Amino acid sequence: MIELNAATKRYGSLAAVDNVSFSVKAGESFALLGPNGAGKTTIVKMLLDFTRPSSGSLLLNGLSSTDAASRAAVGYLAENHHIPPYLSGWQYLERCAQLLDINPSAVPEQCRRIVDLIGMQGREHTKTGTYSKGMIQRFGLGAALMGNPKLLILDEPTSGLDPIGIREIRQLLESLKKQGITIFLNSHLLSEVEKICDNAAIINNGRLLVKDTISSLIKDGDSLEDVFVRLVKG
Amino acid sequence: MKMQKALPSIIKIAKYTITDEVRQRSFAVMFIVCAVFIFLVRGCYHGNYVVNGQDVEAGKIVQMVSTMTFHVIAIGVMFLAALLSMRVFRRDRDDGTQSCILSKPITRWQYVAGKILGLWALLIIFMFVLHGIVFIMASINLNVFLPEYLMASLLCSLNLLFVIVTVLLLSLMMPDIAAFLCVTGIGIVGVVADGIYAVSHSPMVQAVIQQPGPQQDFTFWKVIYYLWPKLSGAQHFASSFIGGSGLSNLGSLYPLINVLLYCVILGALLFWRFKSEDIV
Repeated sequence: MIELNAATKRYGSLAAVDNVSFSVKAGESFALLGPNGAGKTTIVKMLLDFTRPSSGSLLLNGLSSTDAASRAAVGYLAENHHIPPYLSGWQYLERCAQLLDINPSAVPEQCRRIVDLIGMQGREHTKTGTYSKGMIQRFGLGAALMGNPKLLILDEPTSGLDPIGIREIRQLLESLKKQGITIFLNSHLLSEVEKICDNAAIINNGRLLVKDTISSLIKDGDSLEDVFVRLVKG
Repeated sequence: MKMQKALPSIIKIAKYTITDEVRQRSFAVMFIVCAVFIFLVRGCYHGNYVVNGQDVEAGKIVQMVSTMTFHVIAIGVMFLAALLSMRVFRRDRDDGTQSCILSKPITRWQYVAGKILGLWALLIIFMFVLHGIVFIMASINLNVFLPEYLMASLLCSLNLLFVIVTVLLLSLMMPDIAAFLCVTGIGIVGVVADGIYAVSHSPMVQAVIQQPGPQQDFTFWKVIYYLWPKLSGAQHFASSFIGGSGLSNLGSLYPLINVLLYCVILGALLFWRFKSEDIV
């Protein structure tokens, strides 16, 4: 579903992503971990063709990431999600549905389903300018779920959410995982990653340090946090 | 076939662009101010005008005032086009619209084409409505019909396309306000150059130039003059239809061709430049 082959992104002399290779299979829930500035978001941006790799290649759904068709059936949630403040949450979801060419007669039903799924009933018709960061994040996740995607790319999905919201999103992701949806997760919340994901890769300074199953990474009784700190601090 | 597939997405993005702009309070305020200004011009149609002791025909007054208003509206909407275009990419970036659209199976050229189409359609409608108000006022008050007025308005829309494409391109390379000022500068230099050209071709100046003495070579400046974007030339060509002088010779089409070529070249550059743009 996702394949990185020696992907490198340079900004002048700085290598934000340096010769990274890994793959994520269909149905897998995968976490990309790393400290701030490690290159996680750059990898996501390269996958979505928001930025082009300096060298190497990235495949999404078997197609080059530069091909727009590779983004069909892909849902994306940005780290700091924004929604035009003059739109209501409902209007935003409608736009996302229209951009995905969903049958116009099915759009209201799809939007209703998403609103229920993200738990925003009763607030969907107010302007997003009045929403909290957590509410915007929920609608962002809702937009990513529009059109029943086969792959979800989530960059810090719990950013700005309170503990109850984090728990709800985790439960939602767990149910999506059970439905066979591939999840590619960028997160700092290692305890959540441990609960949701099967596999993880840890990167630092743009380089891949390790890629393995979560159970293999924490096999010696360590928590994922212990493993992460040990690897990143070298 | 490829274009047929791409068109619905372009139209959707154009529709969102129009609705997003119209939703801005500043847009509504600008439209009301412009409409009020046009209604104020109504007073110029009435009253007796005397030139060298002779009364001027009402028809001539209507034509003259309408032509002047035509130019004021066209220039005003060009300014508005630059103002709206300069912030389009930045606003889309800041409010997440760009990443929302481009994370879907939509190509960058579809996004840019949708933005251009949306802005252009909105501004054509804006200008056409304002020109339409003048047309209706002249028609109702004085029974003088100037259907060519509306055609001239549509011809002038090519200038709007130039402004939109140029500002969008420049806003990718420099601060928004600098992009706005650059395009305004291009327009002002064009008007001044046209003025100098007209003066230099007046019989009096020609007589001075043809006097014996050291001659200066203006070839370089002439080339620059002809290659410079002919925004004011295209506008004058369009306005020449008001009152019926219209297309006198093929040479008078040059400003339109000049602006059209600039639109094509700058449009191609815009698509090429946006392709390598990092989406935030």
